[in-house]
Amino acid sequence: MPAATAHTYLKTRASLMAKQLFDQQQLNELLESSLDSLQQRFDLTELTKDRDDRSALNRAAERALIGTLLYELAVLLRPLDGASRDILIHWTRKFELFNLKALIRGKGQNLSADQIKHNLFPLPALISLPHDRLLEAEGILELLRLLEQGPYADIARQARQVYEEHNEPFSLDAAIDHSYYTSLLRRIRRAAPEEGRSLSTLMGTLIDHQNLIWLLRYRFNYGLAPSETYYLLVPFGRRLHRERLKALVELDGLEQVLAALPGRLAQAMRGINNLVDAEQALEQETIDQARHCLRYSRSAVTRSLAYLALREIDLKKLYAILQGKVLNLDPDLIRKAARVPVPG
Amino acid sequence: MPMFRPLTMKHVLLQVITEDLPQVCLVLAEERLFQPDFRPYLDDSFTTIPGIHFRELYHQARSRLDKINHHIDLSEQIQLSQVHVISETELEQTTDWLGQVWERCSAFEEAFRRFSEEEQMITQLEQALANFSQLNIDLGLLQGERMFLDIRVGMVPTSNLEQLKEAARIAHYLLFDYLQHDDVAHLVVIGPKGEREQEMGSVLDTAGFRALPIPPELHDEPDEVRSQLRQRRSTLARDKSQTQGEMERCADELREPLEQARGTLAMAAPYVQVETAARSSGHLSILCGWIPARDLKRARAALQRSLDHPFGIEARDPTAKERALVPSHMPANVLMAPFATLVKQYGIPRYGEVDPTALFAITFLAMFGMMFGDIGHGITIALVAWLARRKLKSFTPFAIGAGLSAILFGLLYGSIFGYEHVIDAVWIPPLSDPIYMLSVALAWGIGFLLMISAICIYNRFVQGDIGKAVFDTNGLVSTLLYLSLLYGLYSIYRDGEFGIIAAIISGLSLLILFLYKMTRASGPMSERLLVALIETFESLTGYISNTLSFLRVAAFSLNHVALAIAVFTLAEMIESTHGHMLMVIFGNLFILVLEGAIVTIQALRLEYYEGFSRFYSGDGIEFEPLRLPIGDRP
Repeated sequence: MPAATAHTYLKTRASLMAKQLFDQQQLNELLESSLDSLQQRFDLTELTKDRDDRSALNRAAERALIGTLLYELAVLLRPLDGASRDILIHWTRKFELFNLKALIRGKGQNLSADQIKHNLFPLPALISLPHDRLLEAEGILELLRLLEQGPYADIARQARQVYEEHNEPFSLDAAIDHSYYTSLLRRIRRAAPEEGRSLSTLMGTLIDHQNLIWLLRYRFNYGLAPSETYYLLVPFGRRLHRERLKALVELDGLEQVLAALPGRLAQAMRGINNLVDAEQALEQETIDQARHCLRYSRSAVTRSLAYLALREIDLKKLYAILQGKVLNLDPDLIRKAARVPVPG
Repeated sequence: MPMFRPLTMKHVLLQVITEDLPQVCLVLAEERLFQPDFRPYLDDSFTTIPGIHFRELYHQARSRLDKINHHIDLSEQIQLSQVHVISETELEQTTDWLGQVWERCSAFEEAFRRFSEEEQMITQLEQALANFSQLNIDLGLLQGERMFLDIRVGMVPTSNLEQLKEAARIAHYLLFDYLQHDDVAHLVVIGPKGEREQEMGSVLDTAGFRALPIPPELHDEPDEVRSQLRQRRSTLARDKSQTQGEMERCADELREPLEQARGTLAMAAPYVQVETAARSSGHLSILCGWIPARDLKRARAALQRSLDHPFGIEARDPTAKERALVPSHMPANVLMAPFATLVKQYGIPRYGEVDPTALFAITFLAMFGMMFGDIGHGITIALVAWLARRKLKSFTPFAIGAGLSAILFGLLYGSIFGYEHVIDAVWIPPLSDPIYMLSVALAWGIGFLLMISAICIYNRFVQGDIGKAVFDTNGLVSTLLYLSLLYGLYSIYRDGEFGIIAAIISGLSLLILFLYKMTRASGPMSERLLVALIETFESLTGYISNTLSFLRVAAFSLNHVALAIAVFTLAEMIESTHGHMLMVIFGNLFILVLEGAIVTIQALRLEYYEGFSRFYSGDGIEFEPLRLPIGDRP
């Protein structure tokens, strides 16, 4: 398909798919629906029938929702090739990285292959590690040797260090996330200039939000030092660039950090004094920015990526609602977990 | 016609005493006549799937053996001295023992990994040494504990360097990178002693920092350090070779018991393979599957010989609903094996459909001979195939068959290594009457397509799809259309006009075909009309183009002679006798290799595209009986 046709097709596809995104009213309806009607509406009955086990039901729902996202990705990938295709594929690697973390953590804690397997997402071969082979590893050292032979050799070496020197495992998680974002940015820089600019804006915004959450969590929940916190951030954001991040990590309280944020971010964070509310406000900010890109961006790949980011947030909300209903949680608690604002 | 159809199958339900189930599986695997049927069994009384723990043990043992096999070579064939049922205890012992062996192998793997890491470290140290010896600084400053300064010398992956520099600055440290080698950056980190030491340590850990020990003699006696590093490298090489030797001794010691363990797993495999095809309820178990009707007696006799307890076999014909699930068993003899492989490349016939292997073999060889008829070339192909039989393996009969067919047509064409006048043609030299050759090819094509259409109609009847068998493309109606068109065209050739009868039959057939397509299409009327119109037109043009496709059979027979003439013309132009001979030899080799390959591809294309695609769905299930996996490597 010629590039112009492919991009027109992609924009149309993204616009059509955007109709599936939830608005506030729909989210409130989902919160009020029963578990059965949700299962029927999202075609989860086949998947979850005959499952009395709540955790199995949860897993099935989670897998189905990721399956939906990957299916839609496959549709968006069809007309693409080269760097654009590579960017969208790399974006979905985040799910494989969940698996990678689960594998390393599971083997590190001597869990059985079956126990670890329950926590892995089944993914298409395009982005998947050879799970069966890795699960057959008897012990963490064997797993790391296997990983050292593949694309995650750097991660495996770091994991070895964590394992051998009994370091904090979250530093490994952070390294994995860090490597994911830097690889994604590298790919965006390889894209055509007209795509690259628009993609960088969207990615920069997403990274800003991710950085801010990490910064608040590492500094004030885990109590890491400024230099350690800075090392774990990705200094390629849009508004929170290198120098600003350096200044922010040196601050001593959450309120101070939020007050020192630039322009639009500061506005979004006004009146917030805890991490949970900050995360919710950042998610809303991400939604607003991504919706803007989805509607107005001239780049088809940016629109697709914005759609995928929004769809992921939606599916996470849906999953939280399903999970809450499976566990018979209080409706207010479900609303909070799914980050759905109270109407009016 | 058993030769042209998969064997008749029976669905069997074996009722056995639960403790005999492993023995039953083993016997059936030895006989290679039973394929398990994994569909859920509807009787509620048999809910337990036996051998779940056995299966887990087997898979664990198998995985361990596979991993061990990467380090210890085992023989190709598995020799089973005494075939017996493997008990769960025996399998557990084997699994545990394999676990111990794998632990040893894994330790060797880990040791080699560390050797390689140490080797890289020595290389990095050598690089650092070369670099330090050129620096005009007092290296004494970098060694040992300092009262006010925290100094660290080491390496990080280059990709982490920039971020680390910034983080170091935040911790009030200075960072100098003095060398980058193999994606590793060498650096010196200096900062004030005190509260930030631990902070910097954590950052460095996260960045994958590895300390580089600086020998005290580095500045004063670099040669001595170099010699120490050389010694360290040679010690490493010695340790590595010693470990390699230990590993080889370990392999020699373990090879025989490992082969025994592999045999144990081979004998355990049949019980593992039945999976959900076996169900049990207390002492009674059932096993469902498929057995070729001709082998039922053999199965019963084999079970009677080996089981102490009574058993029952209920056999029935497959129902119409389950026909699509019945495996197709098409035993091929040595001569047919290569053709069966090529047929399977396209797909497996459904149960009850025509097995095209024999037809494929005959028509392929005939077309190859027709296109490549030459006694000399045929003899060469057959001879080379015979000499290379070890390499060609099961494909030897295929190549010899092609050679023999070329010889036969060479006799008919009177051609030997391209020479047309050495022997008289039994039939006709192709170039003497090209139009006649093209007519023969056309007649062959028409015959081939009619035969294929007949098979297609038969297959559809067998599948119970009578509508398609009669009205669809390649069905009775469209075959009638094809025949009437052929007759009409022949009438034009003979009498100058299409003929009223041919026109009526063609028109009627086209109309029926069109109406049938209309009923099959979906969507609004205009869309259905368009789809039906296009599909009917496609069926019509398909017959014409497919028939003309066979003209290539004659074209290649002419091409073969034309190429030989070109070779001889070039040879004639060379004056020396040796040159002439060399030209003839290399020209013939050229024809053999290049044209031989092209003709093979063309014949396969005609088979697959003009033949198989018309009548052969290829989505059948191949009969894969339980068997002892003794021919494969683990």
